[in-house]
Amino acid sequence: MSKEACIIKGNKHGLSISIPREMDFAEVLSQLRTRLASAQEFFAGAAVYVSAADRDLEPEEKQQLAKTVEEFGLSITEPEADEAPAPAVESGKDEFKEDTLLLRRTIRSGQKIRYDGNVVVLGDVNPGAEIICSGDILVLGSLRGVAHAGCTGNVNASVFAFRLEPTQLRIANYISRSPDEKLPKPLGPELARVCDNVIQITAYQS
Amino acid sequence: MGKSIVITSGKGGVGKTTTTANIGTGLAQIGRKVCLVDADIGLRNLDVVMGLENRIVYDLIDVVEGHCRVRSALIKDKRFDNLFLLPAAQTREKDAVNPEQMEKLITELKQEFDYVLVDCPAGIEQGFKNAIAGADLAIIVTTPEVSAVRDADRIIGLLEADELFEPQLIVNRIRPDMIRRGDMMTTDDMIDILAIKLLGIVPDDESIIVSTNKGEPAVLDKKSVSGQAFRNIVRRLEGASVPFLALEEENMVKRLMRFIGIGGKS
Repeated sequence: MSKEACIIKGNKHGLSISIPREMDFAEVLSQLRTRLASAQEFFAGAAVYVSAADRDLEPEEKQQLAKTVEEFGLSITEPEADEAPAPAVESGKDEFKEDTLLLRRTIRSGQKIRYDGNVVVLGDVNPGAEIICSGDILVLGSLRGVAHAGCTGNVNASVFAFRLEPTQLRIANYISRSPDEKLPKPLGPELARVCDNVIQITAYQS
Repeated sequence: MGKSIVITSGKGGVGKTTTTANIGTGLAQIGRKVCLVDADIGLRNLDVVMGLENRIVYDLIDVVEGHCRVRSALIKDKRFDNLFLLPAAQTREKDAVNPEQMEKLITELKQEFDYVLVDCPAGIEQGFKNAIAGADLAIIVTTPEVSAVRDADRIIGLLEADELFEPQLIVNRIRPDMIRRGDMMTTDDMIDILAIKLLGIVPDDESIIVSTNKGEPAVLDKKSVSGQAFRNIVRRLEGASVPFLALEEENMVKRLMRFIGIGGKS
């Protein structure tokens, strides 16, 4: 048997069948049949995409493929033409200006910074202070107050601090607060971002 | 032209008035011409702490409203000829004065005195705004409590907004035994948050309660530890570099051991 084989892979859109370039078409069909038969229940109901790397399939061959797939209760879906630009449209939704506000001082209790963009603090953010912005928050010092990044709904926003000990952290519409019991002081820079629908804090490694 | 200093804290009861009285008396003791101004209108205390309550005729409001000249409202201290007090009005409220009037008054006093110390009321409202008007320097008094430090931080922010930069910190009522047990914030913890220059550390001292009630500032008591702390603060204000008190409680044994050279550094 030749080294090349018909590969079936699952992804979020469904099944994708890749057909190697130099393979005999009869062999493709027989391999496909074997693979689909081996896990008929598993594949059932999935959308099937065919990718034939650099190989122009004859209309007749396409028909035969479709027929084979149909034998197993599946059908071939034409890939959507505008699949690629979709993410760009999505990211355009989180509209905020890519401006950055640089604060070269300590933000103290009672002081509130609101900004449409990113905020960088060269100093500390003390308890009782608030920073609210539509982008990311970077504190090159201790963050002990309240930080709200991505306040216009940008869940990809993050909060970074040399010492991340906030009273409360908010990213987009997620809120977390520091635990009521005393925590050991963070030893190094940390980064907070939304993962699996919760705000997660991880040690920062460049 | 003298220097005006406002003593403020945000939180009440941390020792602003006591600090004002002691620093003022300490400065007078070394020969400076000092005027204390009580800006806590309606809740005046500085006169009581100074033991001058019975000499009040005119007050700060009388001066700003033009009922009398500054000179006639000033009360001369009973101990020092170069120490004066401008008392607050007790029967009025904070809004009886505005910052412009205060600034004018302080500027006038600065012409004649080396130091004008303003005792600020607690809070961040009108009284605070009046007290900081015309100040060249701010001294923040705090105690080793989270709430007092939080308020001090708020005050520093408000002072910055009013273009009164680089305030200095006095930490009051430190208890070395509690710090050693880890039950009290250390001075370093407070400096870490507030990020301002430390002017002095005053230990918690029973004698200061006695002296305050008697109207005799502790700074005059040579045996008082807090009095020593205030004398150090006065010297630092005068530009001297004085090491901070090592607030270790030294008992007689320890002192003796150090004296004969076996205790090492405490």
